[in-house]
Amino acid sequence: MQQAIPLAPASSRSGECTRAVRVALPILVALIPLAMVLGAQSARKGLSPVEVALMTALNYAGGSEFAAIGLWTSPLPVAVIVGMTFLVNSRHLLMGAALGPYLSHLPRRIVYPALFFMVDESWAIGIADARSRAARGLLPAFSLTFYMCFSLMFWVTWFSCATLGAVLGPVIGDIERWGLDMAFPAIFLVLIRGMWTSMRAARPWAVSLVAAAVTYLLVPGAWYVPAGAVAGLITAWFFAGEQT
Amino acid sequence: MIHSTTILTIVLMAFATYATRALGYAVLGNRTLSPRARTMLDAAPACVLISVIAPAFVSPRPADILALGITALAAFRLSMMATVAIAILSAAALRFALG
Repeated sequence: MQQAIPLAPASSRSGECTRAVRVALPILVALIPLAMVLGAQSARKGLSPVEVALMTALNYAGGSEFAAIGLWTSPLPVAVIVGMTFLVNSRHLLMGAALGPYLSHLPRRIVYPALFFMVDESWAIGIADARSRAARGLLPAFSLTFYMCFSLMFWVTWFSCATLGAVLGPVIGDIERWGLDMAFPAIFLVLIRGMWTSMRAARPWAVSLVAAAVTYLLVPGAWYVPAGAVAGLITAWFFAGEQT
Repeated sequence: MIHSTTILTIVLMAFATYATRALGYAVLGNRTLSPRARTMLDAAPACVLISVIAPAFVSPRPADILALGITALAAFRLSMMATVAIAILSAAALRFALG
């Protein structure tokens, strides 16, 4: 079930980058409208294109940027925005821990800069790729070149299209009418499909989905992400005990 | 035009976000984990991803729920590009048809 991510047998540097381009293209196509909408919304809240470029390049985490723009008023609630940013991105704590075992062959001076580029997509694809390489006996399982090529394309697309969105501003209407926002769950569902092993292993996912959805309906803010993730992990913990 | 409070907010956001990216790895990434903890972290990717898109599953618009159902079916069988195309087209068509 790994056909979501095309694989090449060889692992030359340029081969790894070509593979990253092939994997990234459809995702980037879907990312562009999302970034432009963020830029346009930011401009509506009074941010200049330079400020949008700085935010999207330095913070580089879309969910928290949409949340921040939602909270953007004058005077700026700096502490609330920064706190919400940490909360929305708290899932990265878990993601970094899960990625750790795949990075053990790399020195820290490479790992810490590489972690800057860890977003949902690069992380999920990096891990899926490492698992399939490991299954075919390729070592090291985690391909840094593949991950960094994917990440740099993703990063540049994100901040440049957000900036473009801020410049074009009011020209961009409501993307919801065009259905472009549905690209986001579509990407995530394909990524999740790539992680499928068995119904048994997928039980925590169902718990995550229900817990996150219920939290989203009942609790304002971004609490639904950590709530769903933690509920799924607790479920996985219990089922792991049952197996042994 | 650049405001100093805006820049301060952006820089603090960037620090907060990088902290989330580096801390999980720094604290847990290098430990040798028990099999049970490993199983838990193996489940983490999908649990995180599905939580992020959970709001789409409880949208109040019937058109969105239908489009998501079609997208989920497509995601089971088709490539990334085809799934994204079907998602966008079905959402646009159903919203047009159902409001």
